[in-house]
Amino acid sequence: MTYGEKHIGGTLLKVDNITLAFGGVKALTDISFEIREHEILAIIGPNGAGKTSMLNVINGFYHPQQGRIEFRGVERKAMRPHLAAKQGIARTFQNVALFKGMSTLDNIMTGRILKMKSNIFQQAIYWGANQREEIAHREVVEKIIDFLEIEAIRKTPVGRLPYGLQKRVELARALAMEPDLLLLDEPMAGMNVEEKEDMCRFVLDVNDEFGTTIALIEHDMGVVMDISDRVVVLDYGRKLADGPPAEVRANKDVIDAYLGVSH
Amino acid sequence: MLYREAGQFKTTYNADQAIFPIRQDRIGLALFGLVAVFAVPAFASNYFLETIFVPFLVFALAAIGLNILTGYCGQLSLGTGGFMACGAFFSYKLAIAFPELHIVIVFLLGGLGTAAVGVLFGLPSLRIKGFYLAVATLAAQFFLVWMFNKFPWWTNYSPSGVISAPPRDVLPGFAVTGSGGDPAVKYLFLLVLVTVLALVAKNLVRSRIGRSWMAIRDMDIAAEIIGIRPLWAKLSAFAVSSFFIGIAGALWAFVYTGSVEALAFQIDRSFQVLFMVIIGGLGSILGSFLGAAFIVLLPIFLSNAPGVLGLQIRVEVIAHLEFMIFGALIVFFLIVEPHGLARLWQIGKEKLRLWPFPY
Amino acid sequence: MNPTAMRFGLWVAFVPVLIAVIGLALQGLAMTDSALFFDWAFYLEVLVAGLLQGVLYSLVALGFVLIFKASGVFNFAQGSMVLFAALTMVGFIEMGLHWTLAFVVTAGVMVLVAIAVERVVLRPLVNQPHIILFMATIGIFYFLDGFGQMLWGSDVKMLEIGIPKQGLTILTDVFEYGIRINAFDLVAALVGAALVAVLAVFFQYTRVGRALRAVADDHQAALSVGIPLKTIWAIVWSVAGIVALVAGIMWGSKAGVQFSLALIALKALPVLILGGFTSIPGAIVGGLIIGAGEQVAEVFLGPLVGGAIQEWFAYMLALAFLLVRPQGLFGERIIERI
Repeated sequence: MTYGEKHIGGTLLKVDNITLAFGGVKALTDISFEIREHEILAIIGPNGAGKTSMLNVINGFYHPQQGRIEFRGVERKAMRPHLAAKQGIARTFQNVALFKGMSTLDNIMTGRILKMKSNIFQQAIYWGANQREEIAHREVVEKIIDFLEIEAIRKTPVGRLPYGLQKRVELARALAMEPDLLLLDEPMAGMNVEEKEDMCRFVLDVNDEFGTTIALIEHDMGVVMDISDRVVVLDYGRKLADGPPAEVRANKDVIDAYLGVSH
Repeated sequence: MLYREAGQFKTTYNADQAIFPIRQDRIGLALFGLVAVFAVPAFASNYFLETIFVPFLVFALAAIGLNILTGYCGQLSLGTGGFMACGAFFSYKLAIAFPELHIVIVFLLGGLGTAAVGVLFGLPSLRIKGFYLAVATLAAQFFLVWMFNKFPWWTNYSPSGVISAPPRDVLPGFAVTGSGGDPAVKYLFLLVLVTVLALVAKNLVRSRIGRSWMAIRDMDIAAEIIGIRPLWAKLSAFAVSSFFIGIAGALWAFVYTGSVEALAFQIDRSFQVLFMVIIGGLGSILGSFLGAAFIVLLPIFLSNAPGVLGLQIRVEVIAHLEFMIFGALIVFFLIVEPHGLARLWQIGKEKLRLWPFPY
Repeated sequence: MNPTAMRFGLWVAFVPVLIAVIGLALQGLAMTDSALFFDWAFYLEVLVAGLLQGVLYSLVALGFVLIFKASGVFNFAQGSMVLFAALTMVGFIEMGLHWTLAFVVTAGVMVLVAIAVERVVLRPLVNQPHIILFMATIGIFYFLDGFGQMLWGSDVKMLEIGIPKQGLTILTDVFEYGIRINAFDLVAALVGAALVAVLAVFFQYTRVGRALRAVADDHQAALSVGIPLKTIWAIVWSVAGIVALVAGIMWGSKAGVQFSLALIALKALPVLILGGFTSIPGAIVGGLIIGAGEQVAEVFLGPLVGGAIQEWFAYMLALAFLLVRPQGLFGERIIERI
């Protein structure tokens, strides 16, 4: 598997002049950037910069007061999260948002929900069409489980799993949606070096094998420099820089923001 | 030694996802089925059948219904009584208007009508959650019972206000409703009906719709991002739940008590079914049965225990004791095993797997 | 100006207008339907009676608010605490104690109950989801219900502590026959007002009050800054118990102490929805609205549908309210952070 040659496509998602405020607090001010197909984009910035809010806007959780969002060239009006899901956007969360009452397998199976078609009567009877569908989707889910190496915990209730594994299950669930755009909110938070390496490998594999576009929020600079194609830097709700990792790293504003020089 | 999965390898996903994947479980179930179908009617007295087995089955169905809404979908409901009343009265009006209709069809239609009412009172769940939703269901409870009580149209303008359920046969010659029915016939009818409906419930719960309910229960925000529409999931939970509860209400009136009256479905009925679900286990079909059995048997146990133990306790004191024990048990279960008897059952099976070894 | 005070003020001004409008609507309705009767003096009488009934609801709701504010638990058992407190007080009075002494002793009993509840129920359930705690309070409800009746019997008892009960007629110069109100209801209103004032001060300005608010927000965080959770909970439930006692006295004097008192808990839910679960003034306002609304609806709209509307009116009103404003009049807006 070569990571060197990668064909990055055209614009998949574009945000223009997004401004988001909660009461008097401005979470995002006039943010514009784009995410290109098949690329890995890192969104970085100090805490409170508005990174998660940005993802929430893309996802449809928050509605910006100003600005527009274009997905695949089509402008989106007020978006709801389940519509975003239908359109092929999947997401993980900073504080793992798994269904604590269900097992790993069931959690990932919920990711297949949009692809399941049987109606309530077929489900009530179960044998026949619904059973065939359940088996077919189970196969897909098992492939993902193999891919992320979580076979051993497939029947464990996720509430009992350690944090690192929970994050992996959440990633699996997002992958089960077969998304075009995968939004990862600090997927490596709280992990040790080994776990981070594993997660990086998975992210790269997903991007490579399935061509999934990935936007991730990440604090670890090493990870960002290593795996991302482009980086967007936010601070206090504004965009500071936007470009390939090496360029961004040398950017004076970015350095100042991280070292704490006041503007 | 007996209860081992060793040697039972699942080679298909099908086998893995079966309701009873372990062979010993299937054998146990078969034995249980034989006892239930043959031994019970043959050996149990009419009294037992009428006061224990029949209400047990009716309550189990109601508990399954409430479990779907509260246990699987996480929407607290205190309106069970009101929905049972819907099922009873809808079925009554249908049975009177269409005497040719087979009683099971009447019950199913009554259930469908209740499902519609359930959806109506479930609409607020889109804006409100948790205890607030409990208020909406309380509104349903009080309003429905008031309505069935207040308007004589529901009781066909009967002068006494209490009506008896019209006698109907399930198969020619076998009456299951009304006062003429043989308890054994009623029992078997209920056994078959409730088993089929429980199977339907189990199937729904392990399919896509069940997963969407559980997702809403666990984290509705996360559910939305994977594409579940909260509106759809909650309303379907209300609909299916009310369907089951409505049929339970109709069975209560037609098969168990033989009379259709709104007073049988007041707020304490709602609490009773809620207790079954809590004690039996939230989010478990088996738990619904266990909880129903527990709540049905407890008063009988309490009223007979003093006599067996040689103590003399006055009747009212027993009633008060019942309340106290109920309350204490609820608290006990919530502390010790919030997943109820069903989880205790599971733990028991796991211990059995290891037996006679300690671990 | 403090936004809550401003909102309160606006409502106070808005309310007479609202009352007048509703009165006019009912008058119009009565003119078209002969089954209905409307008379302005009678309307005001019913309204006042309803408001004062509402004060009684508020007294019960106050106990809920206290516990919810301080521990995030919706105490379904509040109603049975009211019953238990009233039964105990009557019991002591029947044993010969003067009512003031009985009050003190019963208050002590309620403190003991609070400590027991904290020990046996709350401590083992620390940090469980709120729905579990709510269901545990349903268990406490049943337990106290049975326990109280087992101790003191289940006959209806009269609670006589000398509150004046005669009818008074006021405003005879405005209306032909004046408006009849009951002295008892006035006393109830005064008691309610006094209680609210005391509690408001307690929460806002004392150290204990602040600790209570911290606990309501986050148990573990409160623990980590050294707030003694167990003591706080015992305090809160004790205070709620004493509030329940006051409510029990008022209800018991008015309607006799009986088992159905426990079901008042259910009526408090609509009150809390209107007023918000965490607001003390909200409990009062909510109670007033529910009380007045119920009475007016029953008397003036009831005949349209055969009566007994008050069985469900409060809940429907709360439901309608919820759809428009899920956090109540005074409650806090819930912003979900992801």
